[in-house]
Amino acid sequence: MIRNHPGDELLSSYSAGSLPLGQALCVSIHSEFCTNCRKKLKRFSQVGGELMLRLNRATVSLDLKNTILNKIDEDSDSLERDHQDMSYSGKNKVSNVRSGAGESSVPRGLRQFVKSDYQEMPWRRVAKSIHNIELFKDDENTKVEILKIKSGGSVTTHFHLGDEYTVILEGSFSDEDGLYQQGDFLVRNSWDEHTPVATQDRDCICLAVSEAPLQFAGFFKRLLNPLIRLSYSQN
Amino acid sequence: MGPTGNPNQEVELLSECISLVANALDKQAFTTLFDHYAPLIRAYSLAQEPGADLVADELVQEVMIRVWLKAKSYNPCLSNINTWLFRLARNCRIDYLRRNGRFASGIDPTEIFNQIEDDSPSPFLLASQSRLQDDIRTGLENLPQEQAQILNKVYLEGKTHREVSAELRLPLGTVKSRVRLALKKMQCLIAR
Repeated sequence: MIRNHPGDELLSSYSAGSLPLGQALCVSIHSEFCTNCRKKLKRFSQVGGELMLRLNRATVSLDLKNTILNKIDEDSDSLERDHQDMSYSGKNKVSNVRSGAGESSVPRGLRQFVKSDYQEMPWRRVAKSIHNIELFKDDENTKVEILKIKSGGSVTTHFHLGDEYTVILEGSFSDEDGLYQQGDFLVRNSWDEHTPVATQDRDCICLAVSEAPLQFAGFFKRLLNPLIRLSYSQN
Repeated sequence: MGPTGNPNQEVELLSECISLVANALDKQAFTTLFDHYAPLIRAYSLAQEPGADLVADELVQEVMIRVWLKAKSYNPCLSNINTWLFRLARNCRIDYLRRNGRFASGIDPTEIFNQIEDDSPSPFLLASQSRLQDDIRTGLENLPQEQAQILNKVYLEGKTHREVSAELRLPLGTVKSRVRLALKKMQCLIAR
């Protein structure tokens, strides 16, 4: 049972296509686990459709229209073939449903980074019980990574310098506020102080997106945040 | 407004055109779709990049060719045609930004934004969908200007909350709460 969801303002920005990439990845992965949020995304896209209809229509030149109509005419043969290929009868839907026995346990939205198995990834040790794989830097300040916290291991008490978004992929962890399980979506704001601990039964793997505003860079940041200090000192 | 003026009849007419394209590669039907949607797609592109006419033309071309190619994947029972078009346009716009180096290299953002939305068919789906559409429409018409403005920036201009907050000189929290209020007003938050 998923208890922690992204807020409606995040979900709607995702539907709008305007959410920063790291946060969008978190919303996308959470939604693979969560029917309820998928329903909301659908409604929020409908808002987009209605808003688009309300735009002042911009004139389209006859040239452009003819170019496109010609393209369809000319390429009719080859386009028709694509047409067949692209009429996937629910192909996407099936691969998206997260159940299928024998199928990869990695959410579809992560497979451009993790092909089939977290264990095969080049994990890098960042602290005593923490390993990570950095996926990408969203822009200069936002780090998108997968973290593995060893069963029973804890993340040293740390502050956030910007917002931090987490989605649990496997296992579970708890902190001062409660227990979080697969699919749970968490946001921690700057200066929230917390100490996540992975549960004893298994490692906890989660997607983590952390914003670190530039003004905190350098000595101050390293002084304040042991986790960041560790991961940066090894770069 | 579009071909008929009445939004519900319009949706019906356009859905019919899509199925003619899907099943018979009907070019006349495609032209009807083109005349209706191309000016909107162009406006959608210009909303994000005012004055970028070439970019806008390119987006129209991308989206309309995909309409032709993907017509068969449109299922009227699962989503409204305007929503479908919006998603195509949104994805093409994100893809355009990617090809022009607006995102970190090596990542496919369309994969990230293309999360399949709820697609469980239900006997009441069509009815509840068109009721929601009416609610959204009425909601939008009655939205206070300050909320409508923010929705437009997020959805059409493609801005992040932080960008909206900087542009309008509003606290980030105010931007977010206005978005939530607007969604609430459109009955988007009621489970159905």
